[in-house]
Amino acid sequence: MRLKRLFLMDMRFQAKYGFYFLYEALTIIYIAVLFALPENWKEKAAAILIFSDPASMGLFFMGAIVLLEKSQNTTCALAVSPVHATEYVIAKVSSLSAISLVVAAILALAAGVDHLFIVLFGTFLSSVIFTLFGIIVATKIASLNQFILWTVPIEAICFVPAILHLFRITPAWWGHYPVNVCMDMVSGRSLSATGFLATTALTVVLFMLSRFCVLKMWDRMGGVKL
Amino acid sequence: MITVENLSFSYSKSPFISGMSFSVSEGEIFGFLGPSGAGKSTLQKILIGMLRTYQGSCIVNGVECKNRTKHFYENIGVDFEFSTMYEKLTAKENLQFFSSLYKKQPRPVDVLLKMVGLEQDADKRVADYSKGMKSRLNFIKALLHDPPLLCLDEPTSGLDPANSRMMKNMILEEKAKGKTILLTTHNMQDAAELCDRVAFIVNGKICALDSPHNLIMSKGAAAVTYTWIENGEHSASCSLEQISSDERLKSLIAENRLQSIHSSEPTLNDIFMDITGRTLL
Repeated sequence: MRLKRLFLMDMRFQAKYGFYFLYEALTIIYIAVLFALPENWKEKAAAILIFSDPASMGLFFMGAIVLLEKSQNTTCALAVSPVHATEYVIAKVSSLSAISLVVAAILALAAGVDHLFIVLFGTFLSSVIFTLFGIIVATKIASLNQFILWTVPIEAICFVPAILHLFRITPAWWGHYPVNVCMDMVSGRSLSATGFLATTALTVVLFMLSRFCVLKMWDRMGGVKL
Repeated sequence: MITVENLSFSYSKSPFISGMSFSVSEGEIFGFLGPSGAGKSTLQKILIGMLRTYQGSCIVNGVECKNRTKHFYENIGVDFEFSTMYEKLTAKENLQFFSSLYKKQPRPVDVLLKMVGLEQDADKRVADYSKGMKSRLNFIKALLHDPPLLCLDEPTSGLDPANSRMMKNMILEEKAKGKTILLTTHNMQDAAELCDRVAFIVNGKICALDSPHNLIMSKGAAAVTYTWIENGEHSASCSLEQISSDERLKSLIAENRLQSIHSSEPTLNDIFMDITGRTLL
């Protein structure tokens, strides 16, 4: 039940800070872009749009969310409450994944992609991975500048291989690289058992790391100014 | 309720807190007094299980703080010196959310808001609150789950005299209910009025620990200062204990020549300066 309350609070927090409004506006723009593209480009364009925005929004938004929480000292309040780091992480991941899935579903339907379920499952997996990366970075930083700097290497190891893989520029064995597995799914391709295992293993490792980072953040007791 | 033995803690190589030992009984208000940087907040962080790399022993509610689990916080209410609320949510929304995190049946939010005079502002966003309003809101947040131990950091900071009085009355009401209260403050008057015992902390060590009354009395009796006119105004002092042997005072009283007379007891601040050689700034 506490997890449900944290999840609802995260959604309310995101709504209050205009995240949902922003994504309404962005979704309209993306749909306009998709309709303006030639028919044979739409599927790949939809995959790039979904992967680079709703699926990966957790990486960028987590910095803003955790910094806002730190500046309001609510991290201190949670640190001295019965809330577990596991609950904190799951609430953050699931609240951002929910909005990712809604936006991805709208874009996928607008692009008329086949295999909607696979696209959405890929979006969910990507969203979890990127949000966990976001939590790991956000718990360690004290300013937006720091956050932007720290996310550059993550973007490099996640986005470059995924885009190259989408256009089949990478060798075949790169298909097992977790973000490439996610990109495959986002573009409607089914995943291999090896790819699924590798992605699951990465997710578990990132989850354990982000949980550890949240505990460390609570020990440091936050309190930065934006 | 709290037993601390030979507690030491360090942020770097040099010790920040060293060799602290004390205990706090159930239902007691225990004050930590000291200048900025003395180690009060660090000590409080250790007691609320936020700093766990200490040496020695620190047992709170029967739990060694370094081994605490998150269940530990079901029985502790912490009032930080700064606001710990979601600024874009209303006071009521904040309190309802935080109360929902505990297993215990929460105290009614409306009643708590009324107790600190915020019932009219319950639906106002916390961002629009003044410093004093945030301070009162933070205090009742610590009471939501009715914990047996309250840790209050400068609870009257930023409050006007009327609200400060109300806050102190509420602290005394909690004590009357049997709560144990740890109070960290710069304010000697608050400490003297509220605390059963106080510990003076300077440079990470306890310099003195006793009841405010005993500490004040340890300095000696109050002094009596009087003035009279005799080729200009003169004044003299004697200790209250020796007032009957002050011949000049006796004759001035007999001749009705006293211009003024007043007694002055040493304050806790005087005692603090006397013992530590430091002020509380």
